[in-house]
Amino acid sequence: MTTLTLKESPNVPLEAECLSPDVIAPLRRDEIAALPVFLGKRQHRLEDFFTVEGDGGDELEIHGDVGRVKWIGRGMTRGKITLRGNAGMHLGAYMKGGSIEVRGNAGDWVGAEMKGGLIRIVGDAGGQIGAAYRGSLAGMNGGTILVEGSAGIEIGMRMRRGVIAIKGPVRDFAGLQMKGGTLFLLGGAELRTGAWMIRGTIVSGKPIPLLPTFAYDCTYQPAFLRLYTRYLHTLGLSLPCPPGDGGYRRYSGDAAVPGKGELLVCPTQAPTSEQE
Amino acid sequence: MGSVHPEFAVSDGAVNAEERKLQGSSVLRIKGGKVYDPANNINGEIRDICISDGGIVADVEGGRTIDATGMIVFPGGVDVHTHVAGAALNFARAMIPEDHRRSAPFVRTERHRGGIGGSTPTTYVTGYLYAGMGWTTVNEAAVPILSARHTHEELRDTPIVDKSCCVLMANNEILLDLLEAGEIERARHVAAWQIWAAKAYGVKAVNPGGVAAWKWGKDAKGLFEPVPGYNKVTPAKIIAALAGIVDDLGLPHPLHLHCNNLGAPGNYTTTLETMKVLEGNRAHLAHLQYHAYGGDDWFTMRSQSVAIAEHFNANPNLTTDAGAVLFGNTVTITADGPWQHLLYKLTGRKWGNLDVENETGCGIVPYVYKEKNLVNAVQWAVGLELLLLINDPWRVYLTTDHPNGAAFWRYPEIIQLLMDLDFRREQLKALAPKALKRIVLPELDRQYTLSEIAIITSAGPARALGLPQKGHLGVGADADVAIFNDTKDIARMFSYPRYVIKSGEVVIEEGEIRKTVEGRDFVVRPTYDEKVEDYIRPLFQQYYTMSFDNYPVEMERLERPDLRPCKSGV
Amino acid sequence: MGGKVTCTLGEVKNRADLIVYWGGNPAECHPRHFTKYTLTQKGKFVPKGRKDRTMVLVDIRETPSAKAADIFLQVRPSKDFEVLSILRALIKGQRVNVEAVAETGLTLEQLQDFADRMKKARFGVLFFGMGLSMTRGKHMNSAALLSLAAELNAFTKFVAMPMRGHGNVTGGDVIMRWTTGYPFGVNLSRGYPRFNPGEFSTVDLLLRGDNDAALILGADPGATMPQPAIDHLARIPTITLDPKVTHTSRLSRVHITTAATGISAPGTVYRMDEIPLPLRPALKSPYPTDEEVVRRIYQAVAKKPAWVPSIPNLPFQTAQ
Repeated sequence: MTTLTLKESPNVPLEAECLSPDVIAPLRRDEIAALPVFLGKRQHRLEDFFTVEGDGGDELEIHGDVGRVKWIGRGMTRGKITLRGNAGMHLGAYMKGGSIEVRGNAGDWVGAEMKGGLIRIVGDAGGQIGAAYRGSLAGMNGGTILVEGSAGIEIGMRMRRGVIAIKGPVRDFAGLQMKGGTLFLLGGAELRTGAWMIRGTIVSGKPIPLLPTFAYDCTYQPAFLRLYTRYLHTLGLSLPCPPGDGGYRRYSGDAAVPGKGELLVCPTQAPTSEQE
Repeated sequence: MGSVHPEFAVSDGAVNAEERKLQGSSVLRIKGGKVYDPANNINGEIRDICISDGGIVADVEGGRTIDATGMIVFPGGVDVHTHVAGAALNFARAMIPEDHRRSAPFVRTERHRGGIGGSTPTTYVTGYLYAGMGWTTVNEAAVPILSARHTHEELRDTPIVDKSCCVLMANNEILLDLLEAGEIERARHVAAWQIWAAKAYGVKAVNPGGVAAWKWGKDAKGLFEPVPGYNKVTPAKIIAALAGIVDDLGLPHPLHLHCNNLGAPGNYTTTLETMKVLEGNRAHLAHLQYHAYGGDDWFTMRSQSVAIAEHFNANPNLTTDAGAVLFGNTVTITADGPWQHLLYKLTGRKWGNLDVENETGCGIVPYVYKEKNLVNAVQWAVGLELLLLINDPWRVYLTTDHPNGAAFWRYPEIIQLLMDLDFRREQLKALAPKALKRIVLPELDRQYTLSEIAIITSAGPARALGLPQKGHLGVGADADVAIFNDTKDIARMFSYPRYVIKSGEVVIEEGEIRKTVEGRDFVVRPTYDEKVEDYIRPLFQQYYTMSFDNYPVEMERLERPDLRPCKSGV
Repeated sequence: MGGKVTCTLGEVKNRADLIVYWGGNPAECHPRHFTKYTLTQKGKFVPKGRKDRTMVLVDIRETPSAKAADIFLQVRPSKDFEVLSILRALIKGQRVNVEAVAETGLTLEQLQDFADRMKKARFGVLFFGMGLSMTRGKHMNSAALLSLAAELNAFTKFVAMPMRGHGNVTGGDVIMRWTTGYPFGVNLSRGYPRFNPGEFSTVDLLLRGDNDAALILGADPGATMPQPAIDHLARIPTITLDPKVTHTSRLSRVHITTAATGISAPGTVYRMDEIPLPLRPALKSPYPTDEEVVRRIYQAVAKKPAWVPSIPNLPFQTAQ
């Protein structure tokens, strides 16, 4: 196990794609200390910014507010990273396996184009979670991302497979151009959820504004959600609509494309605010 | 332009201004290599190549000696058809950020700039990649007059290689209107004026009539049918007229023609008819692979390379380039607007389209060629079949219609497929099995020799372009030389030359860029009656949207312009 | 996303019979657009000029441009994306939610009529301005409009074009693309170009304070950007090159007055349709051109120890 403690917050973002179990596992302490990190245009040694303790291994702990440190966990395939503080952009991008836990907030692009593994953010996250980078045909293609706080725009943009679950509210364009996979918006969303969806499932924990190109289908309790209920329960989340309560209002769209995505919205008890 | 201080000019990409002072003054001897200079009938002879002041000379004293013992020495490669600069290519760059992201980056050094490779390299990297393979002259195949200024600016930022460009004419409405009225003589003067306005080297015809029809969302599929909007003008008439004009003007390079019906199953008949229309004129048929298909639709599409090659072999007035396809990701860029809209509808991929007023247009669709896709498998085979079935290597050249068939830096893979029969047979196994019945490649066992490769990559295209100082290593030639390891791994050999010399300077050595020299921009000035401007000006003011005085490209825009002669007096 | 169907302005002049302005006010912001390129010109295939053309204006308020419009569609603020989604569905014969339509400020009849006109046009063009690209949705609004234009080509000839802001924005975009591969928001700090809007675009960098110096040329962020971004510019060493003393100049460490491009400095400007036009200066200026100043700065930087970035030896060799 290796422990890194931030000495001082960098004044411009620090790019540290070396902070991955795949890179660190076989190294000794002095080799880890010498790993390259980039402060703007200047290359530095990891130990210029972090105190390094331990000798490789599959587990990495990072202490301090690393909200300006980008690319932690990039492309990792194994092991575990725990951050006791905030995380910078591109956390776990292109990840294939292993797990990351952030006991703080995270920036944009968490789990972008991820293929497998688990990321959990205890605080808030930014936008473009599990999304495709500009121009890429698809985003996340497997794995699970959980955010216990709120999140930003374009969550799950062009995702193809995998599960994203956000407990708090998200902003515009959740599930934009979704191709597959499942997106749980347990705290609801702002505008334009599911815009240009092709396939996939979005589950909203409360009524949300819907695009005019989504049509109401029916109200029911989808069987597959029972599987997800159990799965999410093991990760500490629970779905909003308990069984035997009427169920979810199902909408299909986006007719603008046209797509065959589904939006499952949990209706509240209150009599107003429904879209039909 | 006036305000550029010469010592700060960085158009060649070199960071150190002093290095440029050394250009053209090196003395060099390449000693003991196996030389392939087919234009001078040298076929693997061990001999020295001597260089001084940027050219090949008979002998030198002093200077540097490169010991090329055991190595292969070739004249620098000449790409007769590629898309590396200008509005269409730049539009494509905007559409594929994901391709840039996954391409190996070019990190800046003290000797060269940073940039991106991939399917649409940035301009500096284009120069580095071509030179890195030992290719030293490129012909940008499609330039609209209206954005020719842009093309020349990009060419200026393309280091090392010498350049030329072909200006698009076959859908130029001023010309088409003249052809409709039967005014061939005036059309010739207008065309000559336009070539000089664009500061071009040659004339390009793309889908004659079809691009004009696309402006109303239509196409021109019948060679002998009037183009939509016209009664008399047919694609055949445009082709014949332009070929005649190019020959009358004595341009060094013949009409460069992208035939109608590109990519469509069964289009080989259009190609054969086009070759008949061209009888009696010189012409260069671009990317012939895309024009050699049989079948009636996508399900029955098959190779017709045999029929095309047979007719081509019998018509010595024609040259061509392969336009071969390789499997993998790329982006298609062509002035054939209707074809690209079709490709977009078939694939659902991103689609870019830019129509240029009165002149032409372009369409862009990122694409991936797959072995298991029946159509792609046939396309891959057809390119190779044409290279193997056309008898005279002096008339068929190695290209991929970059980036349409594959990126140019993959040319070495094609060289390997041509030279190594076992390797070719191995690749056939990966194809969709149904494809094998649609192609003839399995029956062909010809293997290209090194000498023939030197012809199709250098000597032949230099001759077709009418550049007598290129494509050979005889005394008086430009000192553009590539030196390769002699190894069985052909693709590797041609991908990583040991040394590349451009205009007598060692630019690449052991895989590193040593120096970035400035290339030249070849131009022609065909003769025309100055009074034709009085004809063009009012039409221009009426149909265009800029001032006539801003239309022609200023000579100062070109980097080291090199005015080449036209043959006849008209 | 990505991809765009467009043309040069002469095509609009010669062919367009349906012209839509969305989120722009050409009468005030592009003063000669109607007369030079789009409405009043007699085109090669539009011989009667204005009589052969229909102009539709889509905006949140009635601007002076509405006087020139045949049809004015007043859309509610921040509802453009919804309207565009409805139009994309309507042209394909898909259903839309009628109540949600009402929230856009337009009726289904208006939108159906609009969709029909677009499909029946001989040559249609959608010009879009900052009223579309800068409101909620931003680049997605532009993407929606571009998608609509592309899809209309299944029925007829249709193109779209952005109405660019002042200055040589298009030229900057064009040259960035050929030298770096990307149009804007390019990061060169790892020695090769990287692109990520939102991470490397100017306003976002400034809002997060991700840069520790700034060189501003041909722009006035001190006047246009959100206050936290302006505060950051004031904190760090900022250098401004401009013919005038701007808001940005006032918070900069260094302001260098330069000759005005096009008036006293030569060069090339790229029109909104990417046609390059030479600039022939009419006047002389006592000030150096932007180009001269940048070259002199560059020469001074070149005297310092060379910066040679490297690619570290990691499983993924580059950050993006």
